[in-house]
Amino acid sequence: MINQQIERLLPLVNKPGRYVGGEMNSVIKEKREGLLRFAFCFPDTYEVGMSHLGMKILYSLFNEREDIWCERVFAPWIDMEARMREKNIPLYGLESGDPLTDFDFIGFTLQYELSYTNVLDMLDLGHIPLHNRDRGEKDPIVVAGGPCACNPEPLADFIDIFFLGEGEEVDLEVMDLYRACQKEGVSRREFLRRAAQIEGCYVPDFYEVTYQEDGTIRAITPKEGVPAVIHKRVMMDMDQSYYPEKFVVPFIDIVHDRAVSEVMRGCIRGCRFCQAGFLYRPLREKSIGTIDRQCRALCESTGYDEISLSSLSTSDYGKLNELLDTMLPWTKERKIGLSLPSLRVDGFSTELTDKIKTVRKSGLTFAPEAGTQRLRDVINKNVREDELMKTVEIAFSAGWNRVKLYFMIGLPTETMEDVEGIPALGMKVIDAFYACKDRPRGPAVSVTVSAAAFVPKPFTPFQWEPQDTMEMFREKQQHLIHANHSRKLQVNYHAADTSFLEAVFARGDRRLCPVLEEAWRRGCHFDGWDDCFSLKTWLEVFSDMQVDPQFYANRRRSFEEVLPWDHLDYGVKKSFLIEECRRAYRGETTANCREECSACGAGCYGGGICVEKRANLV
Amino acid sequence: MKNVRIWFEKKDTARYISHLDLNRCMSRAFHKTRLPLWYTQGFNPHVFVSFAMPLSLGMDGLRECMDVRLLEEMDKETLIEKLNGALPLDIHVYDVTEPVMATHEIAFAHYEISYDPDPVPAGEAEKILRDVMGREELIVEKHTKKGPKDFNLAPYLTDWSLKTEEGRLHLSITLPIGLSGGVNPSLVKSAAEKYGGLTLFDRTARTCLFNEKMEPYR
Repeated sequence: MINQQIERLLPLVNKPGRYVGGEMNSVIKEKREGLLRFAFCFPDTYEVGMSHLGMKILYSLFNEREDIWCERVFAPWIDMEARMREKNIPLYGLESGDPLTDFDFIGFTLQYELSYTNVLDMLDLGHIPLHNRDRGEKDPIVVAGGPCACNPEPLADFIDIFFLGEGEEVDLEVMDLYRACQKEGVSRREFLRRAAQIEGCYVPDFYEVTYQEDGTIRAITPKEGVPAVIHKRVMMDMDQSYYPEKFVVPFIDIVHDRAVSEVMRGCIRGCRFCQAGFLYRPLREKSIGTIDRQCRALCESTGYDEISLSSLSTSDYGKLNELLDTMLPWTKERKIGLSLPSLRVDGFSTELTDKIKTVRKSGLTFAPEAGTQRLRDVINKNVREDELMKTVEIAFSAGWNRVKLYFMIGLPTETMEDVEGIPALGMKVIDAFYACKDRPRGPAVSVTVSAAAFVPKPFTPFQWEPQDTMEMFREKQQHLIHANHSRKLQVNYHAADTSFLEAVFARGDRRLCPVLEEAWRRGCHFDGWDDCFSLKTWLEVFSDMQVDPQFYANRRRSFEEVLPWDHLDYGVKKSFLIEECRRAYRGETTANCREECSACGAGCYGGGICVEKRANLV
Repeated sequence: MKNVRIWFEKKDTARYISHLDLNRCMSRAFHKTRLPLWYTQGFNPHVFVSFAMPLSLGMDGLRECMDVRLLEEMDKETLIEKLNGALPLDIHVYDVTEPVMATHEIAFAHYEISYDPDPVPAGEAEKILRDVMGREELIVEKHTKKGPKDFNLAPYLTDWSLKTEEGRLHLSITLPIGLSGGVNPSLVKSAAEKYGGLTLFDRTARTCLFNEKMEPYR
């Protein structure tokens, strides 16, 4: 329901379908007194944002409530943004076409640090005051959630309330409080004070951060009676937890255009570099019956011919074969394909390939993460080389001939030998192809190894680690290329500049707020996109603002240091992370949650895998 | 198996669906309705759909059609109702017929175009546009598969009428169309800009397709 003004811009921009709404299953409500309006903002393009499951869940959940209208807002691409600014057209909700200033809540999902400049850009384009302190009684409440809310400090000046953990309940509680406060006629400040008392709500303005001479944090102090520690929210019963029966089906092609079933939350693995593996603990599975029912409903309402059984590691779903056996008969009959993302090297079996082969045959991707066994033990990846070889042999026998392997460089304790191990492992996979008797005839084998730059993240055992400097990364990348002697093996690496900025913001503190704002003012946005990212601009801003980015990215912290996120609690104890870090240095692995409990602290939620009976116990 | 021709409108928000995206949108709608349609027999089976003539991005289509193969006889009304239930609001199926003509017979298309001449007053803009459209030669840049090319639009402007209504210009025009290259009505706008200095904001609807003999496509 876009207006004439916007319509006039559409013939002038790329992919106008991003900006018009009107998709199947999008929700239109009648505007009326008492309707609470929520603008769900994804700080990236339509194609990226529309692929995001969290948004689909919350969009439907909010709109089920008769008294709430949730709309979608995405960051307009640079061509559209320039035209909107030129004509002074404010950012608008896709459903109503109304400007952001008409909404009660502006909610951002923070999926990656490099989208932070887009958050500022969208607020500004929506004519919302940038700083939380500058917002008045009539301005919308600006909230944010998602994985990056686990260290929200670099956005502390701009967001009113952060939601920690899973949003299904806490978002609605805050909206109900808002309504009650409106009726009562209390001030914005008082509403925020009360919101800060809701579990999972972090109102940064009520916390004071003081620093020591060396630049580290002295203390984080709560003011006006807000809790000293904020605990994340978790949905413990996945079968009872809300899941949408409809997805908005986009007209234009998006990144992941299919039905998605979330088969579980959390991960049993505990890979030491992986933030999600710790943030989403404990592992909670959905029952087969629930998954099957939700998938049927989704296919019915969308017409999708593909279902992705999604989670952090779907081959770890307890009864995967049983689940596939339940779903295959009807999906096959209705010509619906099943896909399993994030397969683990050790979770791949002939039984599984027989089942998913009935669907589509694309390339296979595995993530050994490190090139040598020593380093894989350090990061607790718990994948052995012989397992990888067994897996690719199964894959080649089943007719695959394309394999992609993902690695990281810059992992703690890494040596050049570990770097050389990456192409070496790729070569072994190629050898395995030619050694395989049942290998597919026809096009030659294609193996790609791809190396990303490691970014240490909060709430992982590596949260105290320095990131490799860009010089070190470049040296390792060169080494990687030179260590490859085969034309059959493709070796790729990701540029280290964006990873550096990501590392700065991942473990940054409030002193980065003005830096972020200044970088945005100088034109930085869509930093996650190569065609927009400018390291040069960022470095100039850091230098002009006299903030040292290496303090955040490349400094080793001591276990005693107060970290910017120490007042936030995600269940996993700091003492456990310290112990895991020490084990990493000793090259000791830690058993996964299904084998053995390591007492990480997530047991405090009293559910999921933490209370499940393990197979090896009586 | 029976070939049927499904007639639909594609307008408003659906104007911004490209031809490729429309294809996917229709496939999903068919999939959703579970109509007894013929699927391709390849590795990724999908409903066999064949569109008459792609519609430009941003254009309304009031009499668009596509062919599918029905595996069993079906009541026309049921088919229409089921499809509309599975399509977004701005794509609307209104008829199903047996195909009479073949796609390659399509030779002309008729367009109804509404121009906003702002800031030039409509009356004045009409005069300028009439003057431009009456010229012997109108060289405009035409986008072809091999890149931009100079093209003389004038010989094709044979069947049109222009009037002013409520501050807007209304152009009814018939132009050649076809897989081997037709004349896009947006070229009229380009000519108005180049020869008349007139910047027009258009809303264009393709209302009908014709064969060589100017019989409506059926």
